[in-house]
Amino acid sequence: MTAIRQLPRYGSLWLLIAFVASVLPHTGHLPPWISVAAAVAVAWRVQIFRGAWHYPGRWVKFALLCLCLAGLVLVYGRLYGLEPMVAMLVAAYALKLLEMRDKRDALIVVYLGFFVAVSLCLFDQSLVTAAIVLFALAAVTAGLAGIHQTDLHHRHFRPAMTGAMLLGQALPLMLVLFLVMPRLPPLWSVPMQRESGTTGMSDTLSPGDITQLGRSAEVAFRVEFADDVPPRRRLYWRGLVLSRFDGRTWSQWESWTYARDNIHMHGEAPPHWLAGQWGTGTSVAYRVTLEPTQQHWLYSLPIPQPLTAGTGVTRNYSLVRREPVVSETAYRVRSWQARPDASDSLSPLRRRVETHLPAGYNPRTQRIARQWAAEADDTEALVRRVLDTFRRDFFYTLNPPALGQHSVDEFLWDSRRGYCEHFASAFAFFMRAAGVPARVVVGYQGGEHHRAENYLIVRQYDAHAWAEVWLEGSGWVRVDPTVAVAPERIERSVVDVLEGEEGLFSASPLSLERFRSVAWLNTLRLRLDYLDYLWTKWVLGYREQQQSLLGDLLGRVEPWRIALFLLAGAGLALLPVLAWCFVQARPAFTRVEDRWYRHFCDRLAGIGLAREPGEAPGDFARRVAVREPAIVEPVKGITEAYERCRYGGDRAAGAELKARVRRFRPRWSRLFFYKDRKP
Amino acid sequence: MNVPVHNTRKVMDTIVQAVATVLLGKEDQIRLALACLLARGHLLIEDLPGMGKTTLAQGLARALGLSFSRIQFTSDLLPADILGISVYERNSGEFRFHPGPVFSQLLLADEINRTTPKTQSALLEAMAEGQATVEGETRPLPRPFFVIATQNPVTQAGTFPLPESQQDRFTACLSLGYPDPAAERRLLEGGDPRRLLDRISPCLSAEQLQHFQHAVSRITASEAIIDYLQRLIQYTRTQGEFEHGLSPRAGLALLQCARAWAMIAGRHYVVPEDVQAVFPAVAGHRLQGAGVTATGEGRVEQVLNAVDVL
Repeated sequence: MTAIRQLPRYGSLWLLIAFVASVLPHTGHLPPWISVAAAVAVAWRVQIFRGAWHYPGRWVKFALLCLCLAGLVLVYGRLYGLEPMVAMLVAAYALKLLEMRDKRDALIVVYLGFFVAVSLCLFDQSLVTAAIVLFALAAVTAGLAGIHQTDLHHRHFRPAMTGAMLLGQALPLMLVLFLVMPRLPPLWSVPMQRESGTTGMSDTLSPGDITQLGRSAEVAFRVEFADDVPPRRRLYWRGLVLSRFDGRTWSQWESWTYARDNIHMHGEAPPHWLAGQWGTGTSVAYRVTLEPTQQHWLYSLPIPQPLTAGTGVTRNYSLVRREPVVSETAYRVRSWQARPDASDSLSPLRRRVETHLPAGYNPRTQRIARQWAAEADDTEALVRRVLDTFRRDFFYTLNPPALGQHSVDEFLWDSRRGYCEHFASAFAFFMRAAGVPARVVVGYQGGEHHRAENYLIVRQYDAHAWAEVWLEGSGWVRVDPTVAVAPERIERSVVDVLEGEEGLFSASPLSLERFRSVAWLNTLRLRLDYLDYLWTKWVLGYREQQQSLLGDLLGRVEPWRIALFLLAGAGLALLPVLAWCFVQARPAFTRVEDRWYRHFCDRLAGIGLAREPGEAPGDFARRVAVREPAIVEPVKGITEAYERCRYGGDRAAGAELKARVRRFRPRWSRLFFYKDRKP
Repeated sequence: MNVPVHNTRKVMDTIVQAVATVLLGKEDQIRLALACLLARGHLLIEDLPGMGKTTLAQGLARALGLSFSRIQFTSDLLPADILGISVYERNSGEFRFHPGPVFSQLLLADEINRTTPKTQSALLEAMAEGQATVEGETRPLPRPFFVIATQNPVTQAGTFPLPESQQDRFTACLSLGYPDPAAERRLLEGGDPRRLLDRISPCLSAEQLQHFQHAVSRITASEAIIDYLQRLIQYTRTQGEFEHGLSPRAGLALLQCARAWAMIAGRHYVVPEDVQAVFPAVAGHRLQGAGVTATGEGRVEQVLNAVDVL
């Protein structure tokens, strides 16, 4: 028994490769000391393999375990949560690898390897990650094959082949499960510890927030239009409307925005404040695939009509979703190019909120705003005057100077250098100081048109902030002060405007965006993005299509129908594998005589007399004759007929063979002549 | 002369019985040796001294009625001692060729591995082409021409192992082994084997022997048999158990011997058992084990077990 439990020498080498393949991709989100511990475990294991070091002793193992636990507690302070759990899993994996001695240990290491490899999907679900996970799974499967081979095998790459073949055989089943398995909501949710490392818009706006986003080339969302892509200057992707200002930070007026009366969900009857908006003017329909933001709000062109269940529109004409966007999410929208309802009027409460300014901030701006308001004939003239000022001597830059307490004062009358949020914030503040209701809107502007595949890529550096002012008789009107300062930002792209400026893409050091000017690299970049988009749309965003697919396939979506379909599908998917095994196992016989003779052998095998591969027909017949005298005659006849036909070139014997084999029933003969049988 | 199949069997049995009177209890080896000769092959007998190697060779020569000459190979034997030499004759004033022992129908090369490789290779041309080149002149050998060589196991002192090229020229290699107790008793109780040998009368004429040799080629070896042969040969080449696989010449020898074996058994077609019967003798001395083990003896049986007959 001990010989069977022993781990083959080269098997442990494959487990090492599997360990590296499944732990290496995790290093990005694990504390560095775990990576170091894993490297130490691998190095120790290699030394054991070379025969240079011994296995760790009992006390060393205990000390290592304590060190790992202490490290986990020190870094996270808690064990509940995704990252501490995965860190613990990896630490356990490394420790088990270190102490692995026999086959039972190796099996545990293999199972841990599968878990660690797949847990990578909890952090990232991109195409590249999927490829890495698949590779890691293949490596772990190779490890599993490796511990079951003997050292007598000289071919060290055979486990890799076996592993790849096993995965390949599982592929059809994987596909069926992907297509049919219902996407269940998690039974319990593990809090994701999101560090500041992730990029994306937050629900407040302070100077510098969007500047930060401007440094990242990550994709925010992609849009597919039903018709042509609208011109750039109309692509204002509204996200949040920020009405509250505390002197430094703009934030939402949540109690009003998210009041039940002020949200219209998809499928409900339109409320009065939407009555005139939909169905008038021109409209564009499109489908947005949003990368995970962990937030409730969505992005849309004004004025959105939600077409996907679970999404709704607020009275600020921003789009929201019932559940936060924790994974890639697709939604459909139709946006109407109508003007906001002119007949709508601000209630006194709303007017007070939309013109509120904190006391004691930016006195100089407040004074000048009041002065200009007195000089202007109407609100529109005032807006024009402010924009003219911006146009004359302001600079648009990704690297504005830091601002102190009176941020608007310093920006407007002193530094005059800023990014879009500085302009939008200053403009809205100025308008409020002049008594005009104004607010800041954050979202994205523009996007890169992928001409080959006709969709729009909106990246984090397209993040933008602009203002909306209330004009009596016209309602909320968009005013983008950035247009006055840097019109090319809206007409072309932020990348063109800020090219060469320090800090652009500094958050995405490896991005191909840096080489836009090299034509073939640019083509490659767009190709890769399309691939990623397809992956997001069809694999990660499959949830949406699944419902309709299941509906088409099953008639009605019911649990028992799904289960039945799953079983049938899995059976069908495994059928080719089975067929392949069958073909592999049986040699191909083209001659009909061979098939008849094989049939005869099968029948004899049925009574316990199987022909050995190297046993010639004549020898076999003589052996059968000794064991089962009752069937000597038919066996002899069949064998002679077969030999004559197959070796003697006597074609006529084929018919005789067929007839004799058909009559051949060794079970029955044995039943009747049982007494004759020799032991 | 056309001999029917059942008669063939009778004739073959007579020959085997005749030889078996001097070599007791070794019918299988006698049949194999006969099959080898019918397949126009040369035979190598390898065993310890005193096991009856020479007796088998002499018995066969007598039973087949062949002219017979014998060379005892020693370490100082020269090629000219085998092939012959030209000697100056004073009467005619010319050189006259005195043919060596190789110019006979059956040549018994006794203890072939006691001589130097130079002399061993003098037999190469004779065995492969049935001719001998002496002093620049090529002379045909009588027909039929056989070589039966005996050798002591290479582990014995004073031996030069036959090179592979020379071994491959021998169609089959037999080893006799100790006789079983009953046969040995008969041997001990019986008379002098030398005298018994003289009593063997020829069962065949040279023409009849040649006729049978032709008949061997007409034995049917069906497609299925050729397939089986190819599987066997392929197995020895790809399985990595042997240093070298079987050569094409070995394949031909195997087929020819299997046909001869089928003819001796009185059949006009080859069945797998025929191939299996001659396989150890034909393939054994050509297959060297891949590892440290010297010969592929037991492994040859393993090949037969591993390769599917059908």
